[in-house]
Amino acid sequence: MSIIQTAHLYHRFSDGTQGLDDVCLAFEEGEFTVIAGANGSGKTTLLRHFNGLLFPESGLVSVCGESVKKNPTAARQQVGMVFQDADSQIIGETVYDDAAFGPENLLLDRPQIHARVTRALADVNLTGYEDKSPHQLSGGEKRRLAIAGVLAMAPRVLVMDEPFSNLDYPATRMVLDQILNFHKQGHTIIITTHDLEKVIAHAQRLVVMENGRVVEDGIPEKVIGGIERYGVRPPCSIQLGRGILPWEN
Amino acid sequence: MGELTTIGFKPGRSPLHRLDPRTKQVLLVGLSVASLQGGITFLSISSLLLLYLFTAAKLRLGRLVYEIRYFLLFLLFIFVLRTVTFNDQWLPAIASGNLLVEALLVCWRLLLVVFMGLLLMSTTRIADIRAALIWLMKPLPLVNEKTAATMVGLVVRFLPLILYQAGEIGDALRARGIERRKNPLTRLVKFSIPLFRRVFLRADELVETMQARCYNEHRTVPELSFTLRDSFAAVIGVGLCLTVLLR
Repeated sequence: MSIIQTAHLYHRFSDGTQGLDDVCLAFEEGEFTVIAGANGSGKTTLLRHFNGLLFPESGLVSVCGESVKKNPTAARQQVGMVFQDADSQIIGETVYDDAAFGPENLLLDRPQIHARVTRALADVNLTGYEDKSPHQLSGGEKRRLAIAGVLAMAPRVLVMDEPFSNLDYPATRMVLDQILNFHKQGHTIIITTHDLEKVIAHAQRLVVMENGRVVEDGIPEKVIGGIERYGVRPPCSIQLGRGILPWEN
Repeated sequence: MGELTTIGFKPGRSPLHRLDPRTKQVLLVGLSVASLQGGITFLSISSLLLLYLFTAAKLRLGRLVYEIRYFLLFLLFIFVLRTVTFNDQWLPAIASGNLLVEALLVCWRLLLVVFMGLLLMSTTRIADIRAALIWLMKPLPLVNEKTAATMVGLVVRFLPLILYQAGEIGDALRARGIERRKNPLTRLVKFSIPLFRRVFLRADELVETMQARCYNEHRTVPELSFTLRDSFAAVIGVGLCLTVLLR
């Protein structure tokens, strides 16, 4: 059984724009998928359906076999979403409080919350920052805190919307290393990006979207060839004819 | 985001940080009510105590005064309103000494209440404020204490963000020469429209991010504990209030 499945998913915004148009996708447990596309192609809209923040106009989205529309809370527990703007995701007044926000919503008891928060902060190298105000953190640290806030809810799937946007080189490397670690630990990873350079060498699957439709879906080596026609810049190594190479080397 | 604003929770381990939020909220209400009746002795002792608490909590008083500069202008307006009178020929005249002292006391009282509120916000986590409100409002009939506490918590949470947005928009307007527009109404419109737009957008984002992390009213609340320190603070607070009642 796929961990996330969409069947003939359509979504139309209130202004009449077609956000998603007949999207049929299935994601397997432990898979590392990159969803690419130009701005406005429907990447973020699709991610919001996985987390129950948007519901389909028609079609079905299911997480672990259960309809997201029928039980959005279960979907949100299984699918942790990291938003593009880390500032908007930060809710707590200290790093610890922010990481504890999700487990508190799950009505866990205090020792369990403490254990999860400690583990999540350690996973993203933010141990020792517990009493700091999140707004004093750097951009990379805020992004890592946003990831920790999601990890503390122990989701099976980690969904990230443009996780490298507005990050400098060291912060991008650190976030990428952590994403790869989570994948090694068995998490299912789904990342949206229009900048394939940083992550494509590690992905097992590349989905390309245009105007709300899935136009390409397959292993990166097969899909990446003609990707420029969908408004996505191919990685430098592809342009130089050297195939897909890791960005961090 | 470099510096948000000085208003809002600042982590720390000062005596006030370690007080039970219920004690702090009850003391805030009690002392605020007492302030409105308090004379010079009460106001002086309270002001000195506040000064100590601000210093102990390592809060930047100067910066806080700057943050509430528009409220200080409002106080000045009240002071002028209470002290300037008009004679038979409609010429302004300064009121007598007693009225001047009375006006000064009114402004002092209001300022004290605002500073006590700021001190509570700076030394208490919103989650703790919410937990204390739930506990305090539980006996009240016809009040959903969880919803009410969440609403108060969100207002307290949002205030520094709104002030930050206002600062950003003000800077952006100044960078494009808003000072050259002499009409205050135009300046107000140019400032408020983007501010409201940004605040509503930010509120929508906040709701989405809270939903994404399974937010609901029934969540684990922080553990509250009333200790000896709280009893000590309560005794000081009641003692201060008594100086008003027994004068």
